[in-house]
Amino acid sequence: MVWDVDHTLLDGVFLEADGEPPGADPAMVAVLAELSGRGILHAIASRNPPAAAEHVARVTGAAFVAAECGWDAKSDAIGRIADTLGIGTDAIAFVDDDPYERAEVSFARPEVMVLAPEEMTSAPGWPEFSPAVVTAEAARRSLLYLDRQRRQAAEREFGGSREEFLRWCQTEITIGPAAVADADRLAELSARTHQFNSAARALPAAGFAELIRAGETTGSRHAAGPAGPMRVGEVADPRPAVRLMGPTKAGEAAGPRPATGSAEAMAAGGVQSAAGDTARVLAVRLRDRFGDDGLVGTCVTEAGPDGWTVTLLAMSCRAMGRGVIDALLAWLIGAAARAGVRELAIPAILTPRNVPLRLALAAAGFRASEAESAGEPGAAGEPGQKRAVFRRSVDAGAAADSAGAIGAGGEAAGETPAPGEAAGSG
Amino acid sequence: MADRRPGEAAETGLELAGELRELLAELAGRPELRTADFGLPLFGTGIGLDSLTGTLLLREVHRRYGVDVAAEDLNLDALASLASLASFIETRRG
Repeated sequence: MVWDVDHTLLDGVFLEADGEPPGADPAMVAVLAELSGRGILHAIASRNPPAAAEHVARVTGAAFVAAECGWDAKSDAIGRIADTLGIGTDAIAFVDDDPYERAEVSFARPEVMVLAPEEMTSAPGWPEFSPAVVTAEAARRSLLYLDRQRRQAAEREFGGSREEFLRWCQTEITIGPAAVADADRLAELSARTHQFNSAARALPAAGFAELIRAGETTGSRHAAGPAGPMRVGEVADPRPAVRLMGPTKAGEAAGPRPATGSAEAMAAGGVQSAAGDTARVLAVRLRDRFGDDGLVGTCVTEAGPDGWTVTLLAMSCRAMGRGVIDALLAWLIGAAARAGVRELAIPAILTPRNVPLRLALAAAGFRASEAESAGEPGAAGEPGQKRAVFRRSVDAGAAADSAGAIGAGGEAAGETPAPGEAAGSG
Repeated sequence: MADRRPGEAAETGLELAGELRELLAELAGRPELRTADFGLPLFGTGIGLDSLTGTLLLREVHRRYGVDVAAEDLNLDALASLASLASFIETRRG
């Protein structure tokens, strides 16, 4: 929610006040609090000096994750707020009492929902502002964005490279099997992320829960204690630490259940359609010295006769620039190599918004032969939407490569494959 | 349009690669990249371009030169090196 200040959040005009600036509009204070509790973020776009934003934060008691105070167009202010938060402008609603400002934003950014203050009193009852489930991550979202602001401020002050900065932040990425309790958050990630999202369709919580339960049943024999924690100081490679949870053999933990039976039998038996039997759901968690972002990413892998297919990959934009997607891809490659799998395939839709995903795939050595239009039955995406299958062959060297790429995490967690194992998978 | 002098294309290519190198160093916050070789791989052990810096770079390239690399290059091969990115832009902006 991007809020105007004068006669919207404030009961008057900030600059016209004699002495004390006006107080908050009590109806808007109630709306701010209600929406915050649902994980909706608040920001300010005001034709006032920055002191107005500080005043508003004080009198409303609300946390504002961004404030644009200045005299240019509100549609530009909204663009900068979206950039600051790493979200799309289509996720923004704008509230202003001035019909001119509302018209300007509606014209320049038709994707933004534009509202008058009097409409806001009923807005908490609208479906647009009523997520069915409020996850722990969502309820803390304002605080996570404030952590993010402190992190960004520190990065501007920091002298070194981004990798050095991430190491200084004590970035810790934890990759492991998802639990049923994660299903709501996984569904939220699949629906709400765009920049690192490979699929056009969201998977509901029930779908995740089903996949996870099936994986727990069939995968229980692989269960083992979590890998030990890693201190960043022990990492020779100046990349963020990666902690691997779950079974000590990454191939068994991460990937789909190793296929049993011949490739022919699997093809005939419809391994792809019996997803519940072979799919594995990974949960990626992220924390550092500035805060704990919790569950920020997921991927769903299925075993097929020719290799593993990542049917869904979704990562929060808060994880962007923090080495998480690269760690996950490197880890998948290593896990596949250790499991003796020859190829990893990641079907992905192609949108202007998920270019970051394609950059990460390119950096990890994935290639697509050509873009195709979705539309055939069973294909991901809307009819006419472009998609491509990004593939990477997995050779024996990949296990060793990925151990290095994820910050020596493999070695610290006892993940380094035995030489014979590595050679055998090539 | 005046005829191009021989060698002009190569010169503008170099100039463009230099601009891109400045841009990359700034976006990545890594001043040492100002002297990086134009042929050094951008991904992996060369420059280690991450997806955040890459996204910012492609956005700025689109804004400055009007070339939407992501829309035209499925595998982002243009990002092999600064030299290849410069030549990709050069051939498309006409």
